[in-house]
Amino acid sequence: MRVTGPVLKGLLYGAVGYVLGGPVLAAVVRAAGGSFPFDLELAAGSVLGTVGWLAGVGMWDVWARGWFGLPLRSWPEDDGVARYFRFTTDHKVIGIQYLVTFLGLLFLGGALAMLMRWELMRPGMQLLTLNGFNQVMSLHGIIMIAVAVAILLGGLGNYCVPLMIGAHDMAFPRVNALSYWLTPPVAVMLLASLLVGGWDSGWTAYPPLSTVNAPGQVLMIVAVVIFGLSSILGGINFLVTIARMRAPGMTWGRLPIFVWSVFAASLLSFVVTQYLAASLLMVLLDRVAGMSYFHFARGGTPVVYQQLFWFYSHPAVYIMIVPAFGAALEVITHFARTPLYAYRWVVGAFLGIVGLSTIVWAHHNFTSGMPDWMHAPMLATTEAISVPTGLVFLSALGTLLRGRLWLRTPMLFALAWVWNFLIGGITGIFNADVATDLHLHDTYFVVAHFHYTIMGGEIFALLAAVYYWYPKITGRMYDERLGRLHFWWSFLAFNATFLPMFWAGLHGMNRRIADYPAALGSVNLWTSLAAFLLGASFLVFLYNFVVSWVRGPRAEANPWQASTLEWQVPSPPPVENFPAPPAVVGAPYVYGMPGVRHAVLGAAGGSER
Amino acid sequence: MRVGVLAAWWLVLTGLLVWAASRFQGFPLAAAREAAVADHAFRFLMLMASPVFTLVMAALLYSVLSRRGQGDPPEPPPYVPEHPAVPRVWFALTAALAAYVIYNPGLVGLAEMREVPLSQLLGSSPGGRVRLASLGGAEGDLVVRVRASRWLWQFEYPEQGIAARELVLPVGRRVRFEVTATDIVHSFWVPAFRTKIDAVPNLTTYLHVTPTRTGSFEESVDLRVQCAELCGVGHALMASPVRVLEPEKFDAWVAQQARR
Ligand SMILES: [Cu+2]
Ligand SMILES: [Cu+2]
Repeated sequence: MRVTGPVLKGLLYGAVGYVLGGPVLAAVVRAAGGSFPFDLELAAGSVLGTVGWLAGVGMWDVWARGWFGLPLRSWPEDDGVARYFRFTTDHKVIGIQYLVTFLGLLFLGGALAMLMRWELMRPGMQLLTLNGFNQVMSLHGIIMIAVAVAILLGGLGNYCVPLMIGAHDMAFPRVNALSYWLTPPVAVMLLASLLVGGWDSGWTAYPPLSTVNAPGQVLMIVAVVIFGLSSILGGINFLVTIARMRAPGMTWGRLPIFVWSVFAASLLSFVVTQYLAASLLMVLLDRVAGMSYFHFARGGTPVVYQQLFWFYSHPAVYIMIVPAFGAALEVITHFARTPLYAYRWVVGAFLGIVGLSTIVWAHHNFTSGMPDWMHAPMLATTEAISVPTGLVFLSALGTLLRGRLWLRTPMLFALAWVWNFLIGGITGIFNADVATDLHLHDTYFVVAHFHYTIMGGEIFALLAAVYYWYPKITGRMYDERLGRLHFWWSFLAFNATFLPMFWAGLHGMNRRIADYPAALGSVNLWTSLAAFLLGASFLVFLYNFVVSWVRGPRAEANPWQASTLEWQVPSPPPVENFPAPPAVVGAPYVYGMPGVRHAVLGAAGGSER
Repeated sequence: MRVGVLAAWWLVLTGLLVWAASRFQGFPLAAAREAAVADHAFRFLMLMASPVFTLVMAALLYSVLSRRGQGDPPEPPPYVPEHPAVPRVWFALTAALAAYVIYNPGLVGLAEMREVPLSQLLGSSPGGRVRLASLGGAEGDLVVRVRASRWLWQFEYPEQGIAARELVLPVGRRVRFEVTATDIVHSFWVPAFRTKIDAVPNLTTYLHVTPTRTGSFEESVDLRVQCAELCGVGHALMASPVRVLEPEKFDAWVAQQARR
């Protein structure tokens, strides 16, 4: 009860909130002679349900009571496993909450992918109905988008950034907890949508389809808007934390590169996420309020949605991938035992990507019937992004070539990131180029491209980072042999799965289809078999992750003999991180420079090696 | 020495890849002028990408094979200050490469695809008349009105006064497709033509295609109109056969349809 109490209370309050905001309110309005469509009932119920959930899980006790002049209640800071199941404000607890929650969602999204690959293994329908396939595909899409946005930033960003800049916590710990506790209702709503018909419009939810399909679409919209709120709050928190909470001497030029990448991605998520919310809210208003932004029968203009939507959703891929750049470069520099090559250029590249990524959105719309004059500038800006991205590659390769490589599991995944993201990046040019994109758009070529960038790029960098910080976070060492097995297995299976998809797309396999011409049978059979192997490789990771956490050998404070601050405190770090603010005296990566130090810790500091 | 080894790796890998890319024939059936433009751009991009891909591969392979350290962890190599020229040169080279790819096949390919001079393409700016249309003008040898509804295609030949559920075209004529939808967004795509345009309710979009060889869906599945924008339950199955005929056979088909 001590452990599960807050969550149970949250579920109860959430259910009450849903019933009050949905069915009860609807009954009252209908009794008074008003109209209250079912879509509105779902939307209002889930918003109030989310509020109830937040209150129950502890936000009321530790925060909201203060708004009404009531005394706050608090829990003991160091309270074992119970901390993870309530509104705790320690950034390390929140980091682990994010990491575990979104790893769970990654596995769920992966299982949905397995289901799709089973269906696509042969031409004709095997397992799912046409509509069932569309629902599974839509759910897979949005879950993986949420994972990609939140797992690195919310998980490892939360855990590591305050430690890496020498802070005792994030700038707004309660906002941080709010960001996390907003996400479980998102997952619940997305899954619950299946109870009301699901939705079949993909994660992009293009109207007018999304204005006329099953009510599950409403839950998806509310879920994504709430997720966006969580994302914006997280972004603000990182921006302020990095700007204001750095330890003495931690100048902008001494920030570890992962911190810079979190800063850049947070800037983006703070600036653009509202466009996604706006576009989805317009769809919702079309559905529940009889508006005619996009509805075809009321003279709506569907193409406007696509512009608004991509104004967020293209930058979103950089919200996903820039922290992955940072994580991969972080691992590469420590495991090459040499300072990060061209550090300042990479920082410039991150900021350049942030700027450029907001003026490329319409490369998703080359075939949408948008004004023709938009093609040339969007093609140009999109291809220009390859220049800052090229600097990230320069940094990775320069560091590798100047270093002495230590090929442990994190480094293997970081090297795989170079390969995967290279393929993802190069094939992106084919999609940015109008002459080739008119054919490739909305085909498996695009599916392969974005899985190379997001799964091969971001998720492989995430795995590098998870293995790298595993001993710091858990205080235990993972099993190196299983780590290598996971690496080779997943790397080979990943490429075997997604390389043939380029061919399938070029040869006329469009995306989001439950069935395809028989001529595409063999490539799909191969892809499905490889995908099952890829899925299975993650079981090795799961086993290693869970079992090592319980029974792995105790980790030292600094098993990698790394130079940055998080490794200078015990594993796992104490609640307040540092006994006293550390004094930062030099660059973050001081390998091969005898006598030079990054930081000096207070008397009670951890093991400085 | 190190630079020499790396350069050798790079040259060998580039040679192999350029050889493979220039011989790449793995395209689906190409049955239109637009397909030739797209395939040419595709192959050209593969050639442009080859040295970039192999440069990264060479550096990756070289570092893994000959920069592996000894020990747990390896002793860090003595720090050597970076030469400031390297990132600058890298930046200049990648920027030049990006600029070139933007120009060709980017803008050049776009102009070829739309059959307009490059100057006109860049001239159709927001200051000019904003058209919700593909460039390429109104002229075409044949107009086909395409109407998409959940989940079928209808083709109307206004000049001939006929309609059909199958897309039949004469070879060698520039066809102007006027595309719209009656309910939600679909997308008009013929893989063998390498181009597509969305079918949007309350909007007419345009696409120009010149078929360059005869053929039919029975001969190649690439000759099909496939909906390429997710449109619900029937999306995967929303396809219609395409037939490209000699002009006289097309005329005969028109006459036969008109008698119906
Ligand atoms: Cu994009
Ligand atoms: Cu469709």
